[in-house]
Amino acid sequence: MELIVNGQKQELEARTIEEVVIHFGLEGRPVVVEADGTVLTKEQWASAEVRPMMRIELVHFVGGG
Amino acid sequence: MKKDTWQIGGHELHSRFFIGTGLFPNPYVQKEAIRASGAEVLTFAIRRVNLASTEDDSILQHVEGEAFRYLPNTSGASTADEAVRIARLARASGLSDWIKVEISANERTLLPDPLETLKATEILVKEGFTVLPYTSDDPVLCKRLEEAGAAAVMPGAAPIGTGLGILNPYHIGLIVEEAKVPIIVDAGLGSASDVVQAMELGVAGVLMNTPVAKAKDPVGMARAMKLAIEAGRLSYLSGRIAKKRYASASSGHEQFLLK
Repeated sequence: MELIVNGQKQELEARTIEEVVIHFGLEGRPVVVEADGTVLTKEQWASAEVRPMMRIELVHFVGGG
Repeated sequence: MKKDTWQIGGHELHSRFFIGTGLFPNPYVQKEAIRASGAEVLTFAIRRVNLASTEDDSILQHVEGEAFRYLPNTSGASTADEAVRIARLARASGLSDWIKVEISANERTLLPDPLETLKATEILVKEGFTVLPYTSDDPVLCKRLEEAGAAAVMPGAAPIGTGLGILNPYHIGLIVEEAKVPIIVDAGLGSASDVVQAMELGVAGVLMNTPVAKAKDPVGMARAMKLAIEAGRLSYLSGRIAKKRYASASSGHEQFLLK
């Protein structure tokens, strides 16, 4: 399915947000997910279904002041 | 001197140093500098994960296992709505409900947009965040942010990363006099003397990143800043002498040997 992940079009096999996170090798990492503008808690990832052209943001903390 | 602690959002702090985590030459130096600073609060930014790299470039892996309080910022936001969005993402990490509102209107100066900063502060306070807005050194604006429910207000000394020191000490002094919440000087400090000046003006704390991370010896500078905070704070509490135009001798004139 085609998704927009971090601003880039991605073709990937995933039914849920959790599968998207796993696809990018980010399971167990301190990442936060936003799908179509809504922040999803880790508990919601497994049940949150993705749909074509969903805009997904995978973000984390980086150095800053 | 009795224990000189302070509070933000009901959380007691012992150190008056908030240290940023950007720009350090490497994670080892960063960790040592943070240790030397004695800081209890670390600031971070929120960015997209680099999907092309499998390497873990999250900052948290370098500071794990230590008891810090995290202050994520909303850098990259140019409107209140963008800042609110970043704040919600930061809180969803489960690490902190503190947020440094940072909304830059101009890429060259990175000066904060006062109207958007006030708007974002109002929204985030309503959503239950502990809000620490980075703002311009305007006394009226700082008061308005306090009234909007900011847990601390953080006026800049000078534009971010410039190291110019406190451009308007008169304003910083006024802001402190008027405030009922902690005032933290955030951005623009360059060296230990700037920090002493800030603390002598009565601010509750300072937030620094570039002057430590980009110093020739970041660990040495972190310690210098820590000592400057202590010196400036103690000087403020001890009450400096008034400035005079002419000399006054340290010993009396009455019993000069040669008269």
